[in-house]
Amino acid sequence: MVLYPFAYNIYVSFTNMSVYHIRNPAWVGLANYVFVVTSPDFLTVLWNSVVWTLANVIPTVLIGLVLAFVLNSKVRGKTIYRLFMIVPWAMPSFITLLVWQSMYSTQYGVINALLGQVGIAPINWLNDCNWAFVAIVVANIWLGYPFMMIIFSGALQSIPNELYEAAAIDGAVGFRQMRYISIPLIKPTIMVAVLLGSIWTFNNFNAAYLITGGGPGLCTTILITQAYKEAFNGTFAFAQAATYACLAFVILFVPGILWNRRTGLTRRAS
Amino acid sequence: MKNNSKRKRSAGKIAGTVLKHAFLIIMSIISIYPVLWVVTLAFSPGESLVTPHFILGFIPIPATPTLEHFISIPQLHLLAGATFPVWAKNSIIITVSSVALSVALTLPAGYAFSRRRFRGQQASMFSFLLPSMFPGVITIIPQFLLFSDLGLVNTYLGCIIPYSVGSLSLSVFIMKGAFDSIPRDLDEAASIDGAGEMRTFYRILLPLTLPSIATVALWAFMGSWLDWALANVMLKDNTLWTLPLALYDFIQPNYTYYGSFAALSLIMAIPVFIVFLVFQKYLVTGLTAGSVKG
Repeated sequence: MVLYPFAYNIYVSFTNMSVYHIRNPAWVGLANYVFVVTSPDFLTVLWNSVVWTLANVIPTVLIGLVLAFVLNSKVRGKTIYRLFMIVPWAMPSFITLLVWQSMYSTQYGVINALLGQVGIAPINWLNDCNWAFVAIVVANIWLGYPFMMIIFSGALQSIPNELYEAAAIDGAVGFRQMRYISIPLIKPTIMVAVLLGSIWTFNNFNAAYLITGGGPGLCTTILITQAYKEAFNGTFAFAQAATYACLAFVILFVPGILWNRRTGLTRRAS
Repeated sequence: MKNNSKRKRSAGKIAGTVLKHAFLIIMSIISIYPVLWVVTLAFSPGESLVTPHFILGFIPIPATPTLEHFISIPQLHLLAGATFPVWAKNSIIITVSSVALSVALTLPAGYAFSRRRFRGQQASMFSFLLPSMFPGVITIIPQFLLFSDLGLVNTYLGCIIPYSVGSLSLSVFIMKGAFDSIPRDLDEAASIDGAGEMRTFYRILLPLTLPSIATVALWAFMGSWLDWALANVMLKDNTLWTLPLALYDFIQPNYTYYGSFAALSLIMAIPVFIVFLVFQKYLVTGLTAGSVKG
């Protein structure tokens, strides 16, 4: 069940499957791969994907960690703060992303209106190459940190209180407890979060697709939006979409293995 | 001298508290701000985009508040056929089954990866990560072809199976980590006291890992409650639709019913908050407190 769609996709990427050949695809060998990799857009799209992933994962993990730590310390109104923080996660993302899109509007958008109040000239958010990229990254970070916060909070909660008490007796308080107890103990969780976060972000097309549609030009097109366009917009070139998917997989697989080796994620606890 | 350092420490404490709250308040505003627009739309009359009033120059509130969209929700339907209660029922059946199945699959897997040693352990653990490296939207096509061969298209199972399996890649890792964090001394102590493996699992490991189980359940819940892409392919018949499908139907190519859309999306978010509030207890109590003595 887990592996079938996956194997099927690899097979499809070696055929000419499209809406015309959905039940009788022919074997075409590496033709799709040659076509995709030699297409002039490929390097741009690949580069965008890498930048996109790094620009999202690092801030979401950091914000999630800080929020988890602050909300795990003694502070009043935790419950209500937590409730507010998970709002971005609790709403279907296609709704909130449409709201973000309207907030970025150059003329009527609330972001430019706010910037105007502090004397910053309106920014052409969605039509300028760099700003469009910043725009989708910010929206996607907004979607991402609540999840990281929840995962890290869960991990922090499962650390036995005795460890902190023992540390306090030994004279470690505040940041030292965080540095020598909390961080090392939730490190496995952080590693998983970074790995899964990277994979999801790399393969997450919602923000790029719903806010900018990949534009202007190819500025905000990443591998996955390109794959989706091939599969469902106009051409229904399922084989090429599958090829993009397989490439995305290979690109993630290698660092994934390395990360796994380095951090011992799947290793049995000693 | 002593007094002075004490005063200094308490001043630092107050500054820390103020900083914490300032940070939390700013993050809260950022978190809810886009949703305030949805709220404003939901409580404004008509189906088009409105110009709201603003508090402090940027927080939107409806100019002429109304409950009309919420009152009309039970009768909502665009095309002939199903209405809100049917969609809600479908969503609840599919979500509850997916969460139950997902937790039932995750617990033994996480336990085995943590406590047992077996051939191919690393490889099989890694294989749980493989599917999530594959873009989800793309795997929908083969899943659809497979499920139509199995006759599962247009059935609840067609969604329940992919949802419960889909959340596994993360859940198995969470549970393995949770079991890992419980000292083996506890297992051994239990076995010395005469508890078998199953008994140790139910009586000791499960209660101690409740926070993580809650996270796993929450994750499975979110995956199925909010999913649109897979349901859109699997559930053709609109009497089988889930809430996200119905919601998406309010965005038509030539006209978007913003008012109803916003109201329904708020209704959809309510169960998420309820579930979160209920689970909050488990996420917060920290049940490991007091379990390891010495």
